[in-house]
Formats: sequence, structure tokens, C-alpha cells
Amino acid sequence: MRRWPDLSWLVALRRPEEVLGWSLNQWDQRVRLARRLRLLGRLAEAVLGAGLSSRLPEPVVNALVGGSRLARVRSQALSWCRDEVARALDGLEAPLVLLKGAAYMAQRLPNAMGRLPSDLDILVPARVLPQARARLIAAGWTEVDLDDHDQRYYREWSHELPPMRHPMHAIELDVHHNILPPVARDRVDGDVLIEAAFALDGSPAASWWVLSKEDQVLHCAAHLFHDSEHRDRLRDLIDLEVLLGAHGADDPEFAARLVGRARRLGLEDALALGVTLLREGLGATLDPVLDGMAREALSHRRLAFLCGCFATVLAPLDPDAEPGWQLRASETLLLARHHWRRMPLPLLLKHSWHKLQLRGRAQSEVGPN
Amino acid sequence: MKTLAEVGEAAVRDALRADGLWLDVGSVTVHVRSDAPSLADALTDVYRHFPFQSRPSWADLHVELRARRRVHVPWRPQAEFICDGSRPFEPFPLDTALPLFEWGVNWMIGTRLHHRLLLHAGAVARNDLAVLMPAVPGAGKTTLTAALASRGWRLLSDEFAAVEPDTGLVWPLIKPPVLKNESIAVFRQFAPAASLGRVYPATRKGDVAHVAPPADAVAGRRRPARPIAIVLPSWQADAPARLEPVSPALACSALAFNAFNYRICGEAGFRAVARLAREASTWQLTYGRLEDALNCLDDLYERTLASPPRTDHAELDALQGAG
Repeated sequence: MRRWPDLSWLVALRRPEEVLGWSLNQWDQRVRLARRLRLLGRLAEAVLGAGLSSRLPEPVVNALVGGSRLARVRSQALSWCRDEVARALDGLEAPLVLLKGAAYMAQRLPNAMGRLPSDLDILVPARVLPQARARLIAAGWTEVDLDDHDQRYYREWSHELPPMRHPMHAIELDVHHNILPPVARDRVDGDVLIEAAFALDGSPAASWWVLSKEDQVLHCAAHLFHDSEHRDRLRDLIDLEVLLGAHGADDPEFAARLVGRARRLGLEDALALGVTLLREGLGATLDPVLDGMAREALSHRRLAFLCGCFATVLAPLDPDAEPGWQLRASETLLLARHHWRRMPLPLLLKHSWHKLQLRGRAQSEVGPN
Repeated sequence: MKTLAEVGEAAVRDALRADGLWLDVGSVTVHVRSDAPSLADALTDVYRHFPFQSRPSWADLHVELRARRRVHVPWRPQAEFICDGSRPFEPFPLDTALPLFEWGVNWMIGTRLHHRLLLHAGAVARNDLAVLMPAVPGAGKTTLTAALASRGWRLLSDEFAAVEPDTGLVWPLIKPPVLKNESIAVFRQFAPAASLGRVYPATRKGDVAHVAPPADAVAGRRRPARPIAIVLPSWQADAPARLEPVSPALACSALAFNAFNYRICGEAGFRAVARLAREASTWQLTYGRLEDALNCLDDLYERTLASPPRTDHAELDALQGAG
């Protein structure tokens, strides 16, 4: 398997005083890596929050202050957007579930501090999807312009509506009815997720729900390993580590329930990949039940190979790193796998043909510049 | 430490090809590497007074300009702008490497440097007292800033006036002012002795030429200045020069509107803008001739020294209190 980059510096997210031993040169590298991995805000909040700024070089503090400001304004934008969406969907007879970053923020998990969110992801039951869409459109949200094929893609084969935008919000809204496409090979029953979800009481997002603790972990893993883009996505792996830590800390039965839930939802591979990469890449200490499950799953050559591909793509070796042939090859394989698992073959052929045509058209419009 | 002009183009080229060049322009240090020969030539010319530093140290931005030839048009080489492994812009023709470098770096500064409020403003100082000139593109800000810098004012910035929220001070960020189209000839005529880089004809922003920041500006790149006046310039052909006072409330909106990162700076940005509008006087400057504009600003400086601006704007106190 590929040599992992040195990620030991990430320990500073949990133990910020470690940074007092960093040289200016190390800071230079790590600030850039953190920014590239969308972790600069988190590093900044950890270090500045620990009151270390007076003991650090001035340019470092400047970079951290800048990173923290950007993350804060984006988090604020996300909270505001979330509240406005709640208002628009108020009265809908269904639980409204926050996913990913918004859910971490609402639960005040450690990975919410200094997070740099780009969109708001929510989940509603499939049965209320048309009403939810209509209400959002009435509240000023618009769907991005799509051709007939893409509209059909979202309507019939996807697990979410087309991304929505609003003139007052800098945040894009993704309304999901499931965490994986209904036509995918590893499909999940969206209603099962909603049944297990729970309401957030006494949080700033009081009208919202979040997925059950096990499902949050599984969604995080599924989101990372079933997505089409993996380059520099180390943050998702760190999210997984935080979720396992925060939800499993005081609950000795959590790991066993998680494994059971993964079996039920058919997401064992994603969980096993996540756990293995956490162990090998981030040196995480894991619950023996989880670890045993992952080791057994990884004894299959297919999954071990996949794990190597992900390890190659998730984190750059240094801040200037550009993709080499290994990375490109891994990415191509992962993208092929993504599509293969996402839709049945006839649909995949149709979809690929459409995308190929679009690409040809775009190139002929741009011209040979 | 020797300057770029002192070490000469060959040394600059070697450094750019090896570990790179660390350009300390005040609020920012830019690390640049490049194999484009035209860039070495242009940097030596335009950054002539900056210290030549080719040993690794901290940099706020790391960029690379890489020459590339494409198989189907090998006779049209290009330069790519690369920052932290990504390419945020389309490539430029190789012989316009300097404009690409300047725009690329400015873009990165505007999207990343959020520890100071970055006003889109020219800024000059005399005796460490600064005049800020926020303006929309086309208002003549650059020509005026370059003209002032050629007549005894210390150049602090042409593009980014970097205001420190906690102190209200403006810190130098000395990128070379970029003159466009007709203003190149106007400036040449006005300041024949000033160093101007070569003219790049017909770039994406028309003809452009870069003014080499003067030695005194470079020497003072770590010395902040206290803003005493905000001047909103507006060039009108043949108009007589006149300065008209502007209300602090309007000053606030002009400053916030012309800032790159006002929203991102959040409360710190609001406080910085409110403080500027309170502590500096604000003026609308209409002018047709550079000479007249400069006289106006010299007068303004003398008058401000004689009677410092009022600091009792109740309106702004209320705003400040609310924040």
C-alpha cells in the first residue's frame, strides 16, 4: 500500500499545545496543507482557542486569524440558511433531518469548531419531497438550470433534488430523501434512516432532527467512499474519527450496534474502509469489535485494493503536490467504481453517453483556444 | 541585503528556477518559483528596490509560474499560475508572465488574507499619516496613487489598503501600481523620472504597465501609518479640481463597499470601518489634471495637520456602541 504522508501534525487538532514545538518552516507547510484539506479553520480555532497566540510567530497568528474568520463567517451563513430553510418548511408533517456539517454544528461536535462548510444538506422523507420542494421554491430557492436528462436523473435515479440556490444565501442547499441513490447497488431504505433519527432539543437548531448516532457514522463513511471525488478529502476521514469518538465514548455497546447497523443497511464495506484508513493513515485507536470487523473485511483482496486506492487519493504528500500517475490511476478506478455502484448498467451507459455528448459540445463551443 | 536590481537578472532567474524568490511586500511575503525567463526579467525591473531573498523562510503565499508548450500550437508558449497544487486561472501567453503573476497574486491575497481588512484603495503617507483612496475600477485611483508616490508621498498600496482592525493603522502592501491604457502616457508625461516597467499591449485588461515601487516605499514596508483622510477620487475630463466633504455615514458605506473581505472580517471589519470614518475626514475629489489633484491633497494634508478631524460624530458613536 502507498506510503501515507506524515499526518502526525493533525494531533494538534486535539492537543493544540503540540504546535509550540513547530518550527516556522513546519508551520509554513502545515498551514498550507491544512488550508488545502479545508482544516485551517479547525486548526486555527484549536490553537487560538487554547490561548497560544502570544507564543507563536506573528505571520502564523495572522494566517490562523484569517482562517478562523473565513470559517466563522461561513458557519454563520450556514446557521442562518438552516434557520431560513426551517421557516420555509415549517408545518410540513415530517421530521426534517440535518446531515453532515450542519448536523455536526447542531450537536456541537468537536469537528464543528472552525469548520468551513460549503453547503447545507438536509434529509426529508421521500413522501414529502414534492411539498418540500414547492415550499422552498415559494420561499425564493431556485434549482440550478438543468437539461431534460439531468432533470430526469435527479427525479428518478438520484437520492437528492438538484442543488438549490437563493439570492440571499451564499450557501447551496441539497435536499436529500436518502443517503445513497435508490437505483444504486448498495441502496438504503430512506425510511429506515428516518425512523431511527432523533430530535435535537435544547440546541440552536431546535426544530431539526439528526440521524441516529450509528447512522451518522455510516453516512459519513458512505458519503466519502461512494462519492465521485476523493482528492484531498482527508477531512471526511477526520469527521469519521470524531463521530466514532464522540458517539462511542461512553457507550461500550456502540461498536457492536454500529456493526449490526452497517450489516442491516449494507454499508459494511464503507465502514470497514473507513476504519482501516483511520487506523493506517491517522493511527487512530479503535474499538476491538470495529477493528476485528474491518480486518476481516479487508482480508478480501478487492477491498484491500480499494483501500490502497483511497489511501493514494485522500491526502497530498506536500502542499505543492500535483497528481502523479498513481493518483490519477487510482482516481479513475474510484470514479469508475463510483458510477458502477451508483446505477445499473443500462442507465450507466445512457448517462455516460449523455455526459460525453455534453463534453463534446462544450469543447466545440470553446474552440481550440 | 542586496536588492533585485543589485544582484541582477541572471541571479533572479537562477533563484526562480531553484528554491524560488521570497518577495516581502510588507503585509505579505510571496514565494515565487518560475522557469519563465520573461518573469525573471520583469521582476528584476519592477521589484528592483526589494531585497533579494532566495533562502526559504515563511511565506503567506506560495506560487509558481510554469512555462508550457502545447503539442498542437508549440509556437504559442503559455505560462500557468499554480498555487498550492491548483490552477485557479486560465494560462496566459508566456511573454505576459508579469501581468499573470500580479493578477494571480492579487487574487490570492484578496481571497486569503483576512487578518486585516483589505480595502480596495490606493494609500499613500506623509510623515506616517495616510490618505486612503477607495475607488471603483476606472476612477483613476492607480494613476493618482502612482503620481503621489512620485512626488514625495510614501506608497503604501495601490490595490489593497490593509487596515488592522485593533489599531486602525494601515499597513503597507506594496504591489506595483498597474497603469492601464491612456493612463500610461499620462503618467509618463507627469513623472518622466519614475521607473515604469515595459508596456504589455492588449492583455485581457488592455495595455498595462507596472510602476516600480520607489526605494523609500520599499524601505518603509514594515512601517504602518495612521489614516487621516479618506479621499474618493473621480476623474472627469477638463474638470477643475475640487474637494468636497462627505458625511461619515457615506464614508462607511464607501469603505465597506470597496473592501475585499468586509463580510469575512465580520465584527472586526465593521469596527475598523466605523473607526476609519470617525477618525479620518472624508472627501470627494473631482479632478481633470493630476497636478491640480496633487495640490488639493497637499492642501488637505496641511489643513488636517493644522486642525485634526472632529471625533464627535454622534451618529458613529451610536453605531460603534451598537457593535
